Amino acid sequence: MTDFEGLLKSLADGGVNFILIDGVAATVHGGARLTEDVDVVYQRSEENIKRLAKAVIRLNPYLRGAPAGLPFQWDKETIERGLNFTLSTNLGSLDLLGKIIDGGCYDDLLPHTFELELFSIRCRCLNLQQLIHVKRAAGRPKDLEAIAELEALQDETDSLHDRERTRNYD
Amino acid sequence: MPTTPPIKPDPVIEAYQKDIERTLLRENLKLSPEERIRKLIELKRFAIELRRAGRTAKAHR
Repeated sequence: MTDFEGLLKSLADGGVNFILIDGVAATVHGGARLTEDVDVVYQRSEENIKRLAKAVIRLNPYLRGAPAGLPFQWDKETIERGLNFTLSTNLGSLDLLGKIIDGGCYDDLLPHTFELELFSIRCRCLNLQQLIHVKRAAGRPKDLEAIAELEALQDETDSLHDRERTRNYD
Repeated sequence: MPTTPPIKPDPVIEAYQKDIERTLLRENLKLSPEERIRKLIELKRFAIELRRAGRTAKAHR
């Protein structure tokens, strides 16, 4: 089973700049669907790539779904040569994305995030509106039900805020 | 702050929306983000146990 807490702590303890997206972000916003992995967008700066290489090497990463025995080496050079990595690790599945469709890279997404505390670590999560936007842009049929749930969450959150505003006026 | 483009209606997504169990979402919205993640972890454990039990039951049939 994916150790969500362990994966997030490994990244945060390693000082990696990342943004939670996809299933875990949906859960943060109140989604009820199960997710199997942790997906993050990481910053592509030289320093952050160094930190990412160091933080993830301890988790014994390997390319998820790839045949065993490939000469895969997780280091700064590999990250620089690639962009998006879907990894299996000692703590479960971890997707490290340098860029996402219609969302761009870490710095593009940053204004659409908020900070939160999870398991005593501070991390950033994509806001609900942008999460819907990038999931729609990805255009994957398997996401349609997840998008429907996110949009329902948006309605519910808006209704909650409306009710709070009304109470404050009364 | 940059804005995200407004969401355009999509008939396929709207069709899925009819089946969304909103009461579950409302319950989740009462929790903190960390409580929501902890609930996900508990559900995952439960799902794994269900799968294990199912496999065992099939093997003994």
